[in-house]
Amino acid sequence: MNAVIAIARKEVRDAVAGRWLILYAAVFAVLALGLSYLGQRNLGGLGFENFSRTTASLLNLCLLLAPLVALSLGAGSIAAERDRGHLTYLLSQPISRLELLLGKFAGLVAATSIATIAGFGAGGAVIAIFASSIDASTYVLLLVLVLALTSVMTGIGLLASVVSASRVQALGIVMLVWFFAVLFFDLLLIGLVSEASLGGGGLLAALLLNPVEIVRVLAIINLEPDLEVLGPFGSYLLETLGTTGATVLLSAALAAWAVAPIAVAARLFARREV
Amino acid sequence: MVFGTGHAPVVVSDVTKRYGRLEALAGISFTIEPGQIVALLGPNGSGKTTTFKCILGVTGFDGSIEIAGRPVKTQGKDARRLVGYLPQTPAFDPGDTPIGVLQFLADLKGADRRRVDLLLERVNLTDERLMKVGEISGGMRQRLALAAALLSDPPVLLLDEPTASLDTETRKQFRKLLAEVRQEGKTILLSTHFIEGLQGLADRFIVLEQGRMVLDMAADELEKKKGNRVVVDLNGTAPSAFLSALRDIGVGPERIAVGEANLEDLLASALDFPGGSEETPR
Repeated sequence: MNAVIAIARKEVRDAVAGRWLILYAAVFAVLALGLSYLGQRNLGGLGFENFSRTTASLLNLCLLLAPLVALSLGAGSIAAERDRGHLTYLLSQPISRLELLLGKFAGLVAATSIATIAGFGAGGAVIAIFASSIDASTYVLLLVLVLALTSVMTGIGLLASVVSASRVQALGIVMLVWFFAVLFFDLLLIGLVSEASLGGGGLLAALLLNPVEIVRVLAIINLEPDLEVLGPFGSYLLETLGTTGATVLLSAALAAWAVAPIAVAARLFARREV
Repeated sequence: MVFGTGHAPVVVSDVTKRYGRLEALAGISFTIEPGQIVALLGPNGSGKTTTFKCILGVTGFDGSIEIAGRPVKTQGKDARRLVGYLPQTPAFDPGDTPIGVLQFLADLKGADRRRVDLLLERVNLTDERLMKVGEISGGMRQRLALAAALLSDPPVLLLDEPTASLDTETRKQFRKLLAEVRQEGKTILLSTHFIEGLQGLADRFIVLEQGRMVLDMAADELEKKKGNRVVVDLNGTAPSAFLSALRDIGVGPERIAVGEANLEDLLASALDFPGGSEETPR
């Protein structure tokens, strides 16, 4: 356990030294403030929007940005150590491969979480001071969902890192994953619905296959259950299970997504030649 | 040095390692006794680094390896706790500081962080402890790697080509440092290309060629082999052709030595000579 903590601490230290963590936090803070301010101007008012409107606007940007950053960081971790010739040295220490993997995962999730919380926090503090009304719970809920999505995507990135021969290959894989999960998934499902007559059960199964979609539906159900925004999958889920049932199912699916890639990565890493 | 009753520090038994169709190690076996310094010699690609990887349990292999009675296949973490490893190229981030590197590795090894300052002083890097690793010299990085290997005061040291990238003077300094470490009774397996300077440092020589052990001999035994020899001047004839001609007329390898009567040439001849241990020129 000490080895996991030591590796995780080094990951966070490296992230701070590499300055990406600060940049990531700054991007989130600017996004929150910018969306809040511009949203209010579009409505003809002055100053900052309250949390609820800002949260809804932030959602789509977070669903683009957070997976991209988390996937890239995960992909770079083990593969970069291998590229630099450091992996054998790390594994020559009295640690297990599982400890190395968990340490990397914990460190990357901790670093991105610190950056996300700092960014959201800074943006939220400004909004809280200047906005006319406050509904911080939705803002916090979005933060929690982004953190969960970051964990899932870091795990998928690590899996790509373990199976790849180099960092470039790992980054190539995660870019495909990002493109598929964030941009292409909706189009694919629409195609499947019309071509393969995908029923309600099929839609639900398809929804659970994409963690980005899970977070999107989970956020909308709890923030602004508007059927138009929810889309066909979310609407079906809400009608079938209700808000609580849908939230429980989606949260459980997200938890499974957080564990499964790391479990698979650990199994493959244990056998892989370094 | 405590290894537990009846357990040798390193026991390598019939180890074979394949990378696809390439056989990197072909059934090598040796046992290193407590306090011994064994020099592992061989040209590039002979299997020296692969041997280290197998002993560390970071790669799969057929056969068995034990560190002080702990099988590396099933108790790899416990086995590695007893080993300090110095890789051919130090694997440190150039942006780290020497003190940061050692503190991180101390945490990984479960070693006392207070040893970091002691070891920095021992390898003469106290003044450079806050510099970036990328800014210190190759010799300093190698000394830092030695300090890292000594962090948990392990009874066994595996040193993979520790002086390969160093200039002659730095190599001498590093060897002096090794001689000091030897005084502590540590068991050391040391791979190298450079035979010069090994005399008086290594107790035993193992020579690998194409994954096979072609020589395993104690240093004093090699010394004895220097006596009672007839030196033949080959006058330009290739040694291998000459040996082959001698074999053709029934003169066996046990009666042939190549080179002059010194340890370095005797070992060098072993490195150059193709074939298994039975054919090793003596």
